[in-house]
Amino acid sequence: MTERIELDDVTREYSSVVAVDGISLSIGDGQFHCLLGPNGSGKSTLFRLILGLTRPSSGTVSLPSAVIGCGFQRPNFYPGLTVRENINVFAGVVGAEDWEWNNRVVKELRLVRALDRKAGELSGGFARKLDLTLALIKKPDFLLLDEPLGALDDVSTARFLEFVDEYVDRGNTVFVSTHRVTAFEPYVDRVTVVHEGEVVFDRATGEIDLDSEQSLQEYYVEQVLDREGVSPANRPPIE
Amino acid sequence: MSLRSLLEKELHWSSRNALILVFLLLLLPAFFAGTSALFQDAVPRSVPVAVVAEDDAVTESDIEIIEGGLASFTDPERVDSRAEADRMLERESVYAIVGVPDDITTAGESAEFTLVVDGSVVPFLSSSRVIASLTETELDQLLAADITVEREIVGEEKQLPEYLYPSFLMVLVIFFAFTYVPYNIKNESVVLDRLRVETSLESVVLAKLVFFTILLLFPIVVFHAGSLYYGYEVASLAPGAVLALLLTFLLLATVSTTIMILSRFSGVGLFVNVTLMLGIVALSALAFPIGFFSALRTTVAQALPTYYTMVITRSIMLKGSEIAMFTEWYAATVGLIVLAGLALEGSIVYYRRRS
Repeated sequence: MTERIELDDVTREYSSVVAVDGISLSIGDGQFHCLLGPNGSGKSTLFRLILGLTRPSSGTVSLPSAVIGCGFQRPNFYPGLTVRENINVFAGVVGAEDWEWNNRVVKELRLVRALDRKAGELSGGFARKLDLTLALIKKPDFLLLDEPLGALDDVSTARFLEFVDEYVDRGNTVFVSTHRVTAFEPYVDRVTVVHEGEVVFDRATGEIDLDSEQSLQEYYVEQVLDREGVSPANRPPIE
Repeated sequence: MSLRSLLEKELHWSSRNALILVFLLLLLPAFFAGTSALFQDAVPRSVPVAVVAEDDAVTESDIEIIEGGLASFTDPERVDSRAEADRMLERESVYAIVGVPDDITTAGESAEFTLVVDGSVVPFLSSSRVIASLTETELDQLLAADITVEREIVGEEKQLPEYLYPSFLMVLVIFFAFTYVPYNIKNESVVLDRLRVETSLESVVLAKLVFFTILLLFPIVVFHAGSLYYGYEVASLAPGAVLALLLTFLLLATVSTTIMILSRFSGVGLFVNVTLMLGIVALSALAFPIGFFSALRTTVAQALPTYYTMVITRSIMLKGSEIAMFTEWYAATVGLIVLAGLALEGSIVYYRRRS
């Protein structure tokens, strides 16, 4: 059993489409690790492979004995239950009985006001917060989040990122799959860029040679466009 | 033109949901058209009856003659003893016992046959009068003795509402297993990824099946309250009957869950379950004794576990039969639950592999 999440030459094919093509990756060391890539690059498939929700066509995924928590791109909870009931149910399922911690997560994610609302009737932002809460209540050593900021307002995003940063500082590993790294840039330790199922680069942020004034988002888009063979003259400005 | 575009959209949608439409528009009509042919007679023509000698003096040849005489309007089965015949009557293996006296071939002698029927099998009581009359006419022509047939009703004679009470309860069990359980499973498929990560599909399914099986006690209690209100003499809460209903529900719910998982929690799974439910309700001989229907339908009913549960439930609720009378049927139901459980586990493994 490894102490890191290790992917070794993992490939996943769907019919004739290769969603993930021979990717090797190591996740751990208490890092804030971003998996970056455009839509359809294989991020979500990679995410599902790590969680064991999809089986690799070839290669191996090794998981540590540590606790792994996950937030899904499409929020996953019981729509017929209230927010509070969902938290109670999953706290019971995963044995997350530290209610001081659970209440703190609810507070940090600004979910208190929605506790007694039916989960299926939540707005996109609150649904996301509930999904993130369910990922965090078990105090995972590895927190895996697929597009966690989708539909979150700016205030909630800021508080969530501060909270996650503190979480990483405690020695936990956070692995985030996203196509927009801007919000994460101040916190991220390592970046893996994928494109068309392959790793474009996988480096610690300190090893990335950014031009002055260039953001990580710009650098990543540039790398992907280079790979797609789009000439610099035809590239749109990056926000 | 917008109507044309919308019609084209319907065509596209239909072509992508062809399986559901094949079920609704082809298989379901074919099923109903087919099952209608299985309902053949208002008066049973092949009702199983036990033929038993009432005296040691009755010969093999006498019994053979009687069997031959009864064969045109019943399905006679020779039985060695009255006790065995009574047992068969209680288990609805037969719906009547024809008791054969001696001296049936002596001209001028009077021979009184008995046609024993169960007072709780209400739909058969009227038919049994016709069968007694037919038996008398047929055997009188066939035998030298003067034949009379005395109809004897054993057990308490029930009213039709009392007789139908266990049937309605059984229909409810089947309905719950093939509609609410799949509906519940489909609704919660949106949380499936988290459940698969945090626990296992096996645990989720097990919890559901246990919970819904316990939940089924409520309608049984409601039925009991109804029977008290109407003054029916139906033992709705008899442990043996409740056990049979719960075991059958567990079996059927396991099957419906397996179908939902194999269909990947889709609408197709719901349609398959509803179709199965209609088939089971129609073919299990829940209300009428199997002798009312064709030999094919009788064979189909006897191949369905729900038929046996119906007999157990009816016998215990209406006649106060002992659980021991049906031990092997309970055991068979448990065996089927184990098999269905294995199929369910297989469907979960298949689901994981296809993910």
